[in-house]
Amino acid sequence: MIRVRRLSHSFGADPVLKDVSFSLEKGDFVFLAGPSGAGKTTLLRILYAALPLQTGEAAVAGINLGRLPASRVPLLRRQVGVVFQDFKILPRRSVEQNIALPLEIRGLAPRHIERRVMAVTRALGLQDRIRLKCGELSGGEQQRVAIARAFVVNPKVLLADEPTGNLDPELAYRLMELFKQFQAYGATVLFATHSEDLMRRHPGAYTMRLEKGRITAADWPGAGVFIDGAGRTVHSRQRQ
Amino acid sequence: MKRTVLRLIGRGIADLALDPAGTAGALLAVTLTSFLAGLFFMLLTTLDIRLGMARGESIFQIYWRDGMDMDVVRRQWQEYVHLPGFRSVRTYTPEQALEELGRRIGRAGGDLDKTFPFLAADSPLPATALVALSPSGPDPERWLEETSAYFRSQHGVARVSAAPLQNELGQAWKQVGSYVLWPATTFLLLALGLSVGNTVRLAVRAREHEIEILQLAGAYNWYIRLPLAAGSAALGLTGGLCSLALLFLLHDRLGDVLNFPPLSLRLYFPSPRAVAALLLAPTVTAALAGVLAVRK
Ligand SMILES: Nc1ncnc2c1ncn2[C@@H]1O[C@H](COP(=O)(O)OP(=O)(O)O)[C@@H](O)[C@H]1O
Ligand SMILES: [Mg+2]
Repeated sequence: MIRVRRLSHSFGADPVLKDVSFSLEKGDFVFLAGPSGAGKTTLLRILYAALPLQTGEAAVAGINLGRLPASRVPLLRRQVGVVFQDFKILPRRSVEQNIALPLEIRGLAPRHIERRVMAVTRALGLQDRIRLKCGELSGGEQQRVAIARAFVVNPKVLLADEPTGNLDPELAYRLMELFKQFQAYGATVLFATHSEDLMRRHPGAYTMRLEKGRITAADWPGAGVFIDGAGRTVHSRQRQ
Repeated sequence: MKRTVLRLIGRGIADLALDPAGTAGALLAVTLTSFLAGLFFMLLTTLDIRLGMARGESIFQIYWRDGMDMDVVRRQWQEYVHLPGFRSVRTYTPEQALEELGRRIGRAGGDLDKTFPFLAADSPLPATALVALSPSGPDPERWLEETSAYFRSQHGVARVSAAPLQNELGQAWKQVGSYVLWPATTFLLLALGLSVGNTVRLAVRAREHEIEILQLAGAYNWYIRLPLAAGSAALGLTGGLCSLALLFLLHDRLGDVLNFPPLSLRLYFPSPRAVAALLLAPTVTAALAGVLAVRK
């Protein structure tokens, strides 16, 4: 579902990602771990085509990111949900309008949109918030709206960039359960975080470590080939 | 598809209410710039009409034959007000002509009755009319000749003399005007468009967050731009209408403030074409700016 081979990226002369390779299958849930400045955000931005692919190869949901014309970027974005640390929701619009947004973009019928939005708000415990303006919600509720907006279109891939970074640990833990629901519906989830605590509480998830732009560890079978911190080529265990 | 388009246009306009302060500010800016442009149009129109008027006044002196029936002549005089470009007429029966002559000489230091006592009974002067007309047509010289010929062909007219146009300012404006008016108008509309465009661009910038979210959710560019263009166009049109209303009010209240002699300066409302331009320029540029403010 996500395939990256020998990807490198630099801002000007600064190399930020160096020779990154990995692959995720359908339904995988992977923590992208690493300290601040390791290059997690940069990697995710390349995967949803907010940054161009400079060197190497990458494909997401079967769409090749190499030489992806601007006109085809929306097609990729429709397969990929993204959740951010700063939520990126519209504070002046209602919960309902925010969640309906990606469905309207796809041109679905109003009746259909309403049904989907209802189902998702119920699943995420937002049903009594539906008419409120998002700006009036707490941080945790805002992030739930953002998650609902990603969830409502059943994306094949979910990219999350420290989505719980702004929330207190207890709330973060509960939101994690929602991300697990994506996995349950068959989405591939790549979840960037620098919180060791969060990862410890979800021992079942795979982890991929990024340090100074290099992948230094990946703990699942078939993760792919990568170059470790010392510059050695490391092969992960094979998927059984 | 058609429903989506209509919905997006409607939403773009409705979204103006999301940020009332921002919308009001942008509307104010658009209205003020349009109003200033309109004011300039008004002055330009007034100047053009005023100087166009001053273009012309040739005075024709018309003398009738001796012994004409004054009733016939008077009827001719009454017709002069219907002449094209008519400005004024002064008429003298032979007696009045003599009186006038006497007054003029008298003012110079004599008295008619004493100077020409034998004339008082039977004036030797002909019936006379002084007709002031504005020239029409592109060729003033030719107009002068044709009009003189017309007066000469009238019943009982003995002689016509015409004072040539004495109107350097009007003539100069007529020549310069065509070179000034269009560039000035173009410049004005350009300035109006640029400032309105910039206002809208800033207003759209304030919504970058929203644009980014739409892009992340996989919206195509037209889907993002259409509501922005619709909202901006509505803003531009409203601003244009407000400025016209202001201009109308100004014209209504102050149009005649300077309209007293010797200034006699009346303000003229801009022509329908200028009004259309005042509405179209902010609307179109605002819509364009709304579209172009979205970076890919
Ligand atoms: N747009 C950018 N221009 C220049 N440098 C950038 C840009 N984005 C990120 N960087 C740099 O790239 C490095 C990795 O950043 P980032 O991917 O945000 O790391 P992380 O998300 O792991 O904290 C940092 O040193 C950061 O300063
Ligand atoms: Mg980051």
